[in-house]
Amino acid sequence: MAAHPSAIGWVPRPRLFINRVGLWLFILSESFLFGAALSSRYYLQGAERPPEVNQLLGLAITTVLLASSLSAYRAEMSAAHGHLSGLLRNLAATIALGLLFLIGVGVEWHEAFIYFPPADPYGTVFFTTTGLHAFHVLTGVIALSIVLYLGRDGRFTHGNYWGVEGAVKYWHFVDVAWVFIYPTLYLVR
Amino acid sequence: MEQRGLAAALRRGRWVFVALMVLTVVEFILLWLNIPRILFRFLLLVINGVDAGLILYYFMHIAQLWRKEA
Repeated sequence: MAAHPSAIGWVPRPRLFINRVGLWLFILSESFLFGAALSSRYYLQGAERPPEVNQLLGLAITTVLLASSLSAYRAEMSAAHGHLSGLLRNLAATIALGLLFLIGVGVEWHEAFIYFPPADPYGTVFFTTTGLHAFHVLTGVIALSIVLYLGRDGRFTHGNYWGVEGAVKYWHFVDVAWVFIYPTLYLVR
Repeated sequence: MEQRGLAAALRRGRWVFVALMVLTVVEFILLWLNIPRILFRFLLLVINGVDAGLILYYFMHIAQLWRKEA
């Protein structure tokens, strides 16, 4: 006969805690992927970068992504405090800013094809890293859109908003990844 | 009470965003200053470490992982 878990000192964790740990482990595994992409920049190109990198556009899309992190945070806090209109408004703003970021990356790619095509060492790193990141932004936009759709009828309320929290945490991770991609591709010399 | 808690959280978020923006602009300005490369790289590393720390702590609530109430 098996002993009851509590009899051997094992206390079951709440479901929310398990969800959070699972998401953090996923984020950790994703950070290894971005770490590999970033380290390949120094392996292939050293610390040099082409002078044609569009610095102002890099700063602009970084600002857009940081602003989207603020609206994502506001969406989560609104859900945590049962403020439905704030949740929906800020989720929509985050999605819009995410799409704006993707447009900025598209413009950057258009210029990059001219100045450092994918066949160049820097071009290889640039297109791989920004492409990988843009794909994560796109999946984040999709996740946030699903949460926005589901949240219209007040499904996510005070004390029950894991759907919002999970999607928003993933969005913040995409922002953290960019915090390291931006200087690695645009600034380091 | 709920509204006061929300207002405080939103205010905190605004300050974190301002800090992130200031740090981003500082690293952008550093690019145009004629400082030694090794110092520039070190400053970038520090600034980005602080950036990531702010997002992880305030926006991603990483402390939830070791708080009892989680």
